[in-house]
Amino acid sequence: MSAQTLERSLPSAPLPQGGPKASVTIRAALARWGLRGTALLYLGLLIALPATAVVLRGFSGGLGALREAFNAPGAKQAIILTLVLAAITAFVNVVFGTLIAYVLVRYRFPARRLLSTIVDIPFAVPTLVTGVMLRALYGPNAPIGGFLQRHGIHVIFAPAGILLALLFVTLPLVVRTVQPVLLELDETEEEAARVLGATRWMTFRKVVLPKLRAGIVAGGLLAFARALGEFGAVVIVSGNIIGKTLTAPYLIFQFASQAKPEEAAAVATLLFAISFVLVLVTERLVGLRRKESA
Amino acid sequence: MRSPRLHIRFVAVVSLLAVGAAACSSASGSGDNGSSAGSTAACTPAESPVITLAAYSNVYDVYGKLISAFQTEWKDAHDDQQVIFQTSFGGSTTQAQNVVAGFPADIVALSLAPDVQLIQDAGLITHDWTQDTESSIVASSVVVFDVRPGNPKHIENWNDLAQPGLQILTPDPAASGGARWNIVAAYGAALRGQVPGYAADDPAAAEQLLTDIFTNVTVMDKSANDSIKNFQAGNGDVAITYEYAGLAAQKSGLPDELVIPPSTVAIQTPTVVVDKNAEAHCVEDIAKAFVEYLHSDEAKATFLSTGYERSVDLKAAQSGEKGAFPPVTDLFTTDDIGGWDQLQNDTVFGPDGAFTKALAAAQG
Amino acid sequence: MSSTIAPRTPRLAGSARRRLVHGGFTAIALVYVGALVIAPLVGIAFAAFKGGWSVIVDTLRQPDVLHAYYLTGVITLITVIVTTVFGVIVALVITRDRFPGRALMSALVDLPIAVSPVIVGLMAVLLFGTGGWFEPWFSAHGIRILFAVPSMVLVTIFICIPFVIREVVPVLHELGVSEEEAARTLGASSLQTFFRVTLKNIRWALAYGIALSTARAIGEIGAVLIVSGSITGQTETSTLYILRAFDQFQDTQGYIVAITLALASIVLLVAIEAFKRRQEKVRET
Repeated sequence: MSAQTLERSLPSAPLPQGGPKASVTIRAALARWGLRGTALLYLGLLIALPATAVVLRGFSGGLGALREAFNAPGAKQAIILTLVLAAITAFVNVVFGTLIAYVLVRYRFPARRLLSTIVDIPFAVPTLVTGVMLRALYGPNAPIGGFLQRHGIHVIFAPAGILLALLFVTLPLVVRTVQPVLLELDETEEEAARVLGATRWMTFRKVVLPKLRAGIVAGGLLAFARALGEFGAVVIVSGNIIGKTLTAPYLIFQFASQAKPEEAAAVATLLFAISFVLVLVTERLVGLRRKESA
Repeated sequence: MRSPRLHIRFVAVVSLLAVGAAACSSASGSGDNGSSAGSTAACTPAESPVITLAAYSNVYDVYGKLISAFQTEWKDAHDDQQVIFQTSFGGSTTQAQNVVAGFPADIVALSLAPDVQLIQDAGLITHDWTQDTESSIVASSVVVFDVRPGNPKHIENWNDLAQPGLQILTPDPAASGGARWNIVAAYGAALRGQVPGYAADDPAAAEQLLTDIFTNVTVMDKSANDSIKNFQAGNGDVAITYEYAGLAAQKSGLPDELVIPPSTVAIQTPTVVVDKNAEAHCVEDIAKAFVEYLHSDEAKATFLSTGYERSVDLKAAQSGEKGAFPPVTDLFTTDDIGGWDQLQNDTVFGPDGAFTKALAAAQG
Repeated sequence: MSSTIAPRTPRLAGSARRRLVHGGFTAIALVYVGALVIAPLVGIAFAAFKGGWSVIVDTLRQPDVLHAYYLTGVITLITVIVTTVFGVIVALVITRDRFPGRALMSALVDLPIAVSPVIVGLMAVLLFGTGGWFEPWFSAHGIRILFAVPSMVLVTIFICIPFVIREVVPVLHELGVSEEEAARTLGASSLQTFFRVTLKNIRWALAYGIALSTARAIGEIGAVLIVSGSITGQTETSTLYILRAFDQFQDTQGYIVAITLALASIVLLVAIEAFKRRQEKVRET
């Protein structure tokens, strides 16, 4: 999944009011150039149509096909594993991501710019290369990997490796979602609280955190949604071991490669429904917050 | 103020959607397993004909060499005509499914007969390939055990895999068609009375062996190569894999040992011309010539040296190819235990098959 | 009311304990990012250079590898052009037009973000594989979509659609139409207005979106794995090559090509950062 860019556009409301603001002349210009039709065609052919194909296929076998898919060996475990790993990823990165965002916004130190740039690296690096890097570091032939293996800790071809990959790709999502929220916080409230005698921790809990909450939740949901569908980073580090490292996206891939499109579509529809709902909820969350603070 | 052009655009959008809907309905109306061999253009052979080969992943190096050699020979014998090969490598069953889904392969080099059967069932192979030279088999290998250096768990035979607490890696038959070889090997060895503790000619005993083995299977990988890598990453005590995969891994530095059980199955890999595609691309004759070439002595030597594969001749394979490989005490084929059709649909992988029931029992 | 980008030093800072806490948090942040992000980069550098320069040069000269780079480049170029041109159009329509179903359009743009790439590949198979919705028409005309480059381009476009749109829409929205209307009043044509006013205002957001698109297109693996057929030297992108290299125990080659992609993405990252900074500056004013 590629939720990479949402960190910039989330501060806006989900649907800008083009109506009253956009003048009649501009709308007429758009019409004259056929832009509305073009936009509809573009999105309709390229997005709506394929999505419909998958959902239709997924439901074409009726509920029976859905049951078949979930009864396939490893399917249930794959879905549960994916949900669990995505949840852990979201939680861990919410904690550290918020911390990093706080450090970036509130503190001043020489490596600040560098830290900011490094946080964006996962946005740019291909997901497959992420997996390759982890393998280079933690694989059995690698210095760290070999060391860990001798002590019984497996990273590659084990859930830990998948978790590291998911943490890597979702980190900037959380940081860049929380950061704009932090930036807009008016510090006078915090200062007022402290002048009135609140400790820093109390100030943080009672003044800062409530305002941050929407942003943090949004970041966490995004990270979760992204982690659900991650394929490229996972395919290299996991061994696709049923129950341990076989994830739902890989399951879909397996079904698709074995020409079992109904099963693939069934799992795909489930995964896709969860993520889509999450993305829309996130939009709403941050949109609401935006309205409040405006 | 609406300009007329708006209406035109709107109509254009609607009509395109209508065309799309019409395409849908006509598509669903047409046959579901029709041939996808492409256009009905007139068949004039190109100056530089292109042959598309879909193969399973392990034979990348082998076919690289075979193709070069064939191209040179063809050029010499046919007026400098340069034959171009497009190659694709992937999981055997995936490749077969891709061909059925429209991948334009003229030749398929797969790792087991049922995968070729898939393509034949889709109507793309129209001749009886089992009657071709050497039944279309180009090379063979054996199912072996990949163990830690020194074989600390003393795994010598199939029943050793049943020892309590052992952790076994093997590819997942649902993900890798070739994984079925491993299961068939265990099944056949038990049936032939070569496994101590399991009665001969007794399907129930064979099923029991499979149950015992799969109780210990902790990992079902997506391919044989993955099994080996997983094993090397420290997972498990033994990986059931194919000799050629293990040898290739050893060549790239893996320290593992390979143990050949006394009785194991001959992995027979077929390479077949996909008639409908080859005809449509006007390369039938060249494709057939290439497949014939694969049965030549020169090609067999390449299969052995580059592909670490044994020959098609069962006796030679069993004896170890004059020292190139360790001999096998009892080397049998799928035909010896009923043939792939029966194994696939009935005795082993069928709904009541030994493996189906064994897996359920082991995982339950 | 404007919030500054530069962090404000906490006004009440001064006590050593507070500095310790700040230092502690900063240290944690640095260590986490260092271990999670930097260490793997270092790891891949070591792995790629394991065989020395000769192996690197040999690998990068292989025709398979060169073609893989070429194919990645072609697919990326087409994807970026299509998603940029049509992305701007969609962004204009979403922010400036008004018709029933506008909300649906906005939701559609979000859809590719929520879809795992393997699902995208599945979509292509369902549409263009044997028995697919569009397959008969294309077959009859001898056009190969699936297991050929066109399907690879299509899935990459699908995946990259949201980037430009979601960067440009907020900017267009915040800018409002006053400038554009003013230009029109002064007699500018639609085209002139677009190029001189609109485009100028969105250029950094557009550049940022393009950079993100490019990075994503280069890195695509899940969907192309399903639709490409992996024809060596024909439909194998750089990422597919890496996958195959690891499958065939050619780890070093895999690491080498991977690190070239990592380097390219870091260059893109620098560009992304630069555009982001300019965009933020613009939003400040």
